[in-house]
Amino acid sequence: MHLDPFELHRPSSLEEALRLATAHAGGFDYLAGGTDLLPNYKMHLNLRPHLIALDAVAELRGRGLERLGAMERLADLERDTELARAYPGFADALAEVATPLVRASGTLGGNLLVETRCFFFNQSHFWRESLGYCLKAEGDRCHVVPQKERCYATFSGDLAPVLMALDAEAELAGPGGRRRVPLGAIYDAAGDGIRRHRLGPGEIVVAVHLPAAARARASAYLKLRVRPSFDFPELGAAAAAELDGGRVRSLAVAVGGLETYPRRFDELTAPLVGEHLSDDRLRAFSEAVMRAVRPVHNTFLAPDYRRKMTRVYVRRAVEKVRERSGAAA
Amino acid sequence: MGSALPPDGFTLLGGRIPYIEGPLKVTGRAEYTDDLQRPGMLVGRLLRSPWAHARIRSIDVSAARSLPGVYAVLTGERYPTPFGVLPITHDETAIAVGKVRYIGDILAAVAAQDEPTAERAIALIRVEVEPLAEHTDPKVGVTPVTDPIHDRGLNGSNVQKEVAQHFGDVDAAFARAAQTVRVRGSFAGVTHAFTEPMATIAEATPDGRLTVWSATQVPHYLHRALSEVLGLPMHRIRVIKPEVGGGFGGKSDPLPHEIACAALALETGRPVKVLFDREDVFLTNHGRHPTQNDLRVAADADGRLLAYDLSAVIDGGAWSSFGTVTTYYNGVLAMGPYRVPNFRYHGRRVYTNRPPSGAMRAHGGTNVRYTVEVALDELAEKVGIDPFELRRRNALPPHSTTVNQFRITSTSFLACLDAVRAASGWDAAFRQLPYGEGIGLGCGFYISGSNSPIHFTPKMPQSTVHLKVDMDGGIAVHSMQADIGQGSNTLLAAIVAEVVGVALERVHVIRVDSDVSPIDLGSYSSRVTFMMGNAARRAAEDLRTRLVRGASELLGYPPEQIRVGRERFEVAHRPDVSVTYLEALHRAMERTGALTAAGAYSSPPMGGSFKGARAGTAPAYSFAAYVARVRVDAETGEYRVGKMWAAFDCGRPLNRLAVEGQIEGSIHMGLGQLMGETLNYRGARLMNPSLLDYKIPMPAQMPEVECLLVGEDDPEGPFGAKEAGEGPLVATLPAVANALYDAVGVRFTDLPITPEKVVKGIELRQREGRPWKGE
Amino acid sequence: MSGLRALVRLTLNGHPVEVSCPDERVLLDLVREELHLTGTKRGCDLGTCGCCTVLLDGRPTLSCLTLARLADGRSLTTIEGLSPGTGLSPVQRAFVEHGATQCGFCTPGFIVAATALLGEHPHPTREEVVRGLSGNLCRCTGYAKIIEAVLAAAEGR
Ligand SMILES: Cc1cc2nc3c(=O)[nH]c(=O)nc-3n(C[C@H](O)[C@H](O)[C@H](O)COP(=O)(O)OP(=O)(O)OC[C@H]3O[C@@H](n4cnc5c(N)ncnc54)[C@H](O)[C@@H]3O)c2cc1C
Ligand code: SF4
Ligand code: FES
Ligand code: FES
Repeated sequence: MHLDPFELHRPSSLEEALRLATAHAGGFDYLAGGTDLLPNYKMHLNLRPHLIALDAVAELRGRGLERLGAMERLADLERDTELARAYPGFADALAEVATPLVRASGTLGGNLLVETRCFFFNQSHFWRESLGYCLKAEGDRCHVVPQKERCYATFSGDLAPVLMALDAEAELAGPGGRRRVPLGAIYDAAGDGIRRHRLGPGEIVVAVHLPAAARARASAYLKLRVRPSFDFPELGAAAAAELDGGRVRSLAVAVGGLETYPRRFDELTAPLVGEHLSDDRLRAFSEAVMRAVRPVHNTFLAPDYRRKMTRVYVRRAVEKVRERSGAAA
Repeated sequence: MGSALPPDGFTLLGGRIPYIEGPLKVTGRAEYTDDLQRPGMLVGRLLRSPWAHARIRSIDVSAARSLPGVYAVLTGERYPTPFGVLPITHDETAIAVGKVRYIGDILAAVAAQDEPTAERAIALIRVEVEPLAEHTDPKVGVTPVTDPIHDRGLNGSNVQKEVAQHFGDVDAAFARAAQTVRVRGSFAGVTHAFTEPMATIAEATPDGRLTVWSATQVPHYLHRALSEVLGLPMHRIRVIKPEVGGGFGGKSDPLPHEIACAALALETGRPVKVLFDREDVFLTNHGRHPTQNDLRVAADADGRLLAYDLSAVIDGGAWSSFGTVTTYYNGVLAMGPYRVPNFRYHGRRVYTNRPPSGAMRAHGGTNVRYTVEVALDELAEKVGIDPFELRRRNALPPHSTTVNQFRITSTSFLACLDAVRAASGWDAAFRQLPYGEGIGLGCGFYISGSNSPIHFTPKMPQSTVHLKVDMDGGIAVHSMQADIGQGSNTLLAAIVAEVVGVALERVHVIRVDSDVSPIDLGSYSSRVTFMMGNAARRAAEDLRTRLVRGASELLGYPPEQIRVGRERFEVAHRPDVSVTYLEALHRAMERTGALTAAGAYSSPPMGGSFKGARAGTAPAYSFAAYVARVRVDAETGEYRVGKMWAAFDCGRPLNRLAVEGQIEGSIHMGLGQLMGETLNYRGARLMNPSLLDYKIPMPAQMPEVECLLVGEDDPEGPFGAKEAGEGPLVATLPAVANALYDAVGVRFTDLPITPEKVVKGIELRQREGRPWKGE
Repeated sequence: MSGLRALVRLTLNGHPVEVSCPDERVLLDLVREELHLTGTKRGCDLGTCGCCTVLLDGRPTLSCLTLARLADGRSLTTIEGLSPGTGLSPVQRAFVEHGATQCGFCTPGFIVAATALLGEHPHPTREEVVRGLSGNLCRCTGYAKIIEAVLAAAEGR
């Protein structure tokens, strides 16, 4: 399986990377660890003539409790005991990404922007051609939900839900300048699902920032998958909370692996603030999350089951947070 | 002949013998087919069919042929002779002729200077077809259909093989039965998923010869198929088997790409390599047949078995492959390890427009074993006795005959039951663990080598081993047995070293090469230890006789009084009088130069004389009793097998390291099929042709395995040994299923048992108002 | 577009080498096809088996998903570089003695990954070995003897 030819650029600064991006606008991809992009390239999915490697860009490195550079390797983040102490849910999620070998190369930025997945998309060129291409690559219709407007490929990154629950922000740099947005805002919840994010042309994720409030929260991440390694999430449930005794000072819950984008449920958690986090309330809340999500049949496990498990996994994630905060039910 | 070896005076056999090619494998120096290079080698590529079932109208290869860097483009007409692993069902061609029958069927083959050129050429081939009705449901395919997949289907249906057998009187037995049980099993297809993708290199030379290196388990069948299809006599073809990265049955058929690769070599005069990617491997399949079976069991009030009434519908995919054997095996392999006085079987294997099914580890025995063992668990419950007791009451005794005339010789089945019951703490656990935890028993029975060589009568040896020793004292061993990782090279060397009394490092097992290796039928049907082992023993004894004669001449004592020592030959009653191995060797060589010796094995006549009587006959059988402990998360349906106690009767284990390795690997493969592996089809389309979506278990999913090797010596096995390559798989699945029943009170008969099914099963039981274990 | 080439300088198993390499070439192809070191295996080409694992600056790396040019200036160790001359490293010896290699096709990847694991955790728990090797597939052994071998190598057994 060889890769089709492309031109590889290796800028050594952010500025140079953005210049290259402008020069090859519309015809390039950024390359971080390559563990998501290169398998997709080998399957001839949405190839571009230029790759801009980010590995030599120093501005994208660095890790501390407040800022995590986008080019930090997952394995290095995983090894960082200080991070794990501060954000146990983030540590949960890191340990669950892919495999140790993928984590040795894979980066934080790549994980946040991992391509969405679908049985009909993550296939060889031969396979897709023999069925007829779909909206997300070369085609004009969807094989999962038969129509021609929207793609339902599943967001399958493990880190976004927990970082979103921790109120992380993304630092972005583009040809038009820098900005900082809530992490969840880089995902295009209102879009057609074909493009998985709403970064501007050439925009780079520089870093993820975690506010002081995040360090006051306990957090947890639970992942449903068939095997304890390799498999992408069929459902990932993240929770972060600050509990005062049993009472909720803040609570955020986010899920991935179910829909086209990772999703936070502020409208469902808001009523719990100030309340005692009892088992009953928690059950009702998890039930409501389950009712809110709409997985489709494009991953290994059936959507029905993934929905049902959303209730269980969300509940257990929050329970774990409660446990980690030392609070009783 | 020298005197028989003292049974327990072994220096190697019965111990833990590290694999002799280990040092090459751990350093990356072992050579697999894709590691080989030939000067001027071209890249071979295949055009695969995007259609599941279609008549080929035309294939235009002109643009591909005229692309610079392309050396040959072949279509099916060039070598249209049909072939197949069984002589009675030749229904495959190297490249499709007239029709394509599954998505992935080979339409054309290209040889080009490099990979990009070959791929461009493939893309330039224009194919026009007339689509035909797609057949994907074997239950529909049993009746006449429009556009049957092959002309040879029964009465215009897609039935490739139908077997109807009846021994004794099943209806009468059911009429007098006190207890009956019925289990309908449903099994998704699974595949071997060995780590080394298939690869073949072929080279035709101006001396009129063709050499083929291929990742194959059965070099001899490949040799025959190449000869038949390419029209070259066998002696002009040389087949070499480099190291093989696992097979499990998936590399036992001669495969179309191997022949197509050779055809490209003949066409171009240049060496050509065809290397598969993972999707190619999945599409080539030949894995375990998707199967629906239905078993009714009749027993008396004490749980003594009276009859089995069994039927099966088996999804064969596009070709026959081993399917005729599969169809029989899915019935007759139910015939042990219990005495079943009446037996009826109706089996049908049906072609579908899916990648061909074939032989996979514990071929034909896995699915039927599951159904039998789950049914017996249920029967024990109905009768009100312990599952162990039920099995004890029904165990086949040693030296008996089954109702379908299998000759049972050695069996340590009762010893297996006793050992595993004690080791697993069964009596304190069964039905006594808290809800969600369970313990279960599953038993096994498998052939130790198919009695029937496929291509010739049993009069020709199924295994042959040649030895050659020259002055240096190294013993070269030649045999076409095919080590694919199971350790047969090591066993071969160890047997020779043991018998001749030399150090293991003196023995060199020569890579399989049809020019020098005498025929052995290779690695399938768990035959190698038994058959090759016997041949090796005989060859080594032949060699030892000559060495003893040399020693006798030097020492001045008659051969009967010479004993084999460690690298020496001694006078039996005067061990101080001896010669070294090399001295004896050099004396023995004086007349003939290098010594050569040969040994062969043919299985003895056995089996009945009715149609299909040979299927399932074997010179010996393995027996097993496994106990599994599971823990179920009743809310999510996720479960984990914590421990597996595996009592196995392989006769005398000759290499404990290898036997354990086979058991552990078999349990892994069995658990895969049980827990999540599945060839997931939508219609004719395989949805998961990748190692990401085909769920091979990971280390954290493996139970702790405790092997209990309790076999006694088999009378005909080499040094008392029987098989351990495939039999260890079959007990795995029902042991876990029965443990799941003990844990949550649900019978699972639809494999794989996914967490989703567990949750649904529990919900259904609860809806039916059947609480379990104080839940 | 035809393949652009650039010079790649590596320390390969301790020796400096220079190869000209197209931009789109992955390390696995460079190692196997260009440098003729075939110990590194191609099991899937997609990151899903671990057979192709090598060490880049001591870090285990899937060579099938790493562009060769990005290894420029770095130190690359393949299975061939783990043992001196014709000898065996402790991990390699343990794999042989414990029967941790059957067909052997997964073995180089496991040994490279295990070597890296032991570099980081010289005395790992069983649990750490199980986790650390969960990026490598083996279809033959059921992993039992592999885990045993790695633990034994760590204990110098
Ligand atoms: C076998 C296997 C299993 C996997 N399982 C999982 C899993 O369980 N969970 C999971 O989350 N992931 C999984 N992955 C996906 C992937 O490996 C990881 O998500 C990894 O973190 C991706 O990081 P990367 O640096 O390799 O990304 P790359 O492949 O380099 O990049 C991914 C995408 O992000 C873009 N990108 C990368 N960095 C930036 C940046 N800084 N700014 C802008 N764009 C950027 C790239 O252009 C590309 O489109 C798996 C991959 C494999 C091969
Ligand atoms: S959801 Fe539909 S459009 Fe999106 S990748 Fe799958 S098949 Fe294609
Ligand atoms: S070949 Fe690289 S992971 Fe399989
Ligand atoms: S030894 Fe064969 S795959 Fe591991």
